[in-house]
Amino acid sequence: MENLGYSPDQKMSTGFKLAPKRKVNVFRKYMAAMLLLAPLLLFILAFFVVPMIYVFYLSFIEVEGLDVSNASYSIGNYLTFFTDPYFLRSLWMTIKVSVYAVIIALILGYPIALTMAKSSARVRGYLTLLVASPLLISVVVRNFGWYLLLVPNGVIDQFLMGIGITDSPLKLLFSVPGVVIGLANSFLPFMVLSIATSLYNIDPSLEKASSIIGASPLRTFFTVTLPLSLPGVVAGIVLVFSMSMSSYVTPALMGGANVPVLPIVIYEQINTLFRWTFGSAISYILLGVTLISVTIFSRIFERKFKEVFR
Amino acid sequence: MKGVRITVTIIGLIFLLIPLIVTIGASFTTAGYPTFPPKGFSLQWYEKILDRPEYMDAFFNSVKFAFLAAFFSVLLGTIAGLALAKYDVPGKTFIVSLLTSPLTIPHLVLGAALLIYFTPMLLAGKPTGFLIAHIVICVPYAIRFVLTGLSGFDYTLERAGAVLGANPFVVFWKITLPIIRPAILSGAMFAFLISFDNVTVSLFMVSTDMRTLPLELFFHMQDSYDPMVASVSSIVIFISVIFIVIFEKIYGVGKLFGGSH
Repeated sequence: MENLGYSPDQKMSTGFKLAPKRKVNVFRKYMAAMLLLAPLLLFILAFFVVPMIYVFYLSFIEVEGLDVSNASYSIGNYLTFFTDPYFLRSLWMTIKVSVYAVIIALILGYPIALTMAKSSARVRGYLTLLVASPLLISVVVRNFGWYLLLVPNGVIDQFLMGIGITDSPLKLLFSVPGVVIGLANSFLPFMVLSIATSLYNIDPSLEKASSIIGASPLRTFFTVTLPLSLPGVVAGIVLVFSMSMSSYVTPALMGGANVPVLPIVIYEQINTLFRWTFGSAISYILLGVTLISVTIFSRIFERKFKEVFR
Repeated sequence: MKGVRITVTIIGLIFLLIPLIVTIGASFTTAGYPTFPPKGFSLQWYEKILDRPEYMDAFFNSVKFAFLAAFFSVLLGTIAGLALAKYDVPGKTFIVSLLTSPLTIPHLVLGAALLIYFTPMLLAGKPTGFLIAHIVICVPYAIRFVLTGLSGFDYTLERAGAVLGANPFVVFWKITLPIIRPAILSGAMFAFLISFDNVTVSLFMVSTDMRTLPLELFFHMQDSYDPMVASVSSIVIFISVIFIVIFEKIYGVGKLFGGSH
């Protein structure tokens, strides 16, 4: 952006005096910008950056019980996590639940995005509104609806028993399926919007060309549309996966004690057991595992489909 | 092919929206517990909200904190956003990503970190701590809205004002502000909703005598089977729908979540 900010002394400047004055102006503008940025920068540093670093530091302090006097620096917290089967099972369950949520979101999300891309502008607008609106409604409320549907002997159970698929209530609530449904429901909009964005960017003449040279619609989809939409698919998968990994509310409401995913464990360690240093370590393990898996996943895809990912 | 696509699209949309329909439906039940489909039709669970001080207090708490969080987020975000958009600050990209970095950390980890950090500062469980935590999660959105609003801004307008003799404050008040007002307004409303809907960060920040509405719903859903959860949730849905309609008119709901998230 060009610097056109108002400065009173530049108004009267003549040609040959401009050079030295300009230097002063640049400095003054820089100071002005820094002054305007300072409040928010300080706020973010004080209440976001420093707390995050502080917690990282804490994660390397090992405390026996709640007695701070025999605290010591070590990687003990991390060792405890990776040697205790309970925590490892919890990590594995978190990954499993998140992958299931991603799969459901992808199966339901891709067709919705495709329909949005193929619709007229007006219909697309309505569909976008329908898909994005739930994101503006609290997740507790959205989970509550599923809670009522999945409750033992609720609508879903009665429907499935009515048409004879099952003959006893399924245990959908307070179990992995309940959590997966809740997570997929919460994050489906992100999947749809990511895929839709990349579908909108596909040049329609490519699909036309494919059909002109005789490809069936199905072939056109698999050789043109799907590969070109992969960046959106990868972005959607990454978003839904990382949000599911760190989701607390949905597992707490839909899974309870039966689905102790890592966020539940972190909450318990920090807010109930007050084991802050250990809780801090698990928080960073959650962040690390999410970041690493997401990076590996997108690297693999980018390498395999180099032409599509610029 | 097309048939399959349309069918799955409809199933997907039902999957997405059914919890809202079920919640509103269940709130009209005459039974003493929330059921779907509702048994009979009554508004008794709406009337009875007024007799439940915990829900009323929580509602006013939510509105108060969301309003304050939105106000401070937009104030800080607008000032910083203006500086970033107007001046060629060295390392601008870095500063923008630093200021929006709270978006990259899960609310659970952020809430836990702030609880641990606030406790020695005596801010844990205090309204101030709660407000600060909510500003941290809202302010990145405010900056984004302001930067988007300023991205097509014509700075010759400001210069014209200055040439005509207006001082910088008059220029800001009469030229800059009216032009970016829709962006600021959208940012404020979005920040309000983000704060109003938040559960995870709030969980770490509250004390028992200071709960917000989503928290109250969260605890009641876990503790008991209270028909009031359905009617209060429905009211939250109605409030959100009002916001959604306004957003759609002034900004476009799809754009809120489009692009880089």
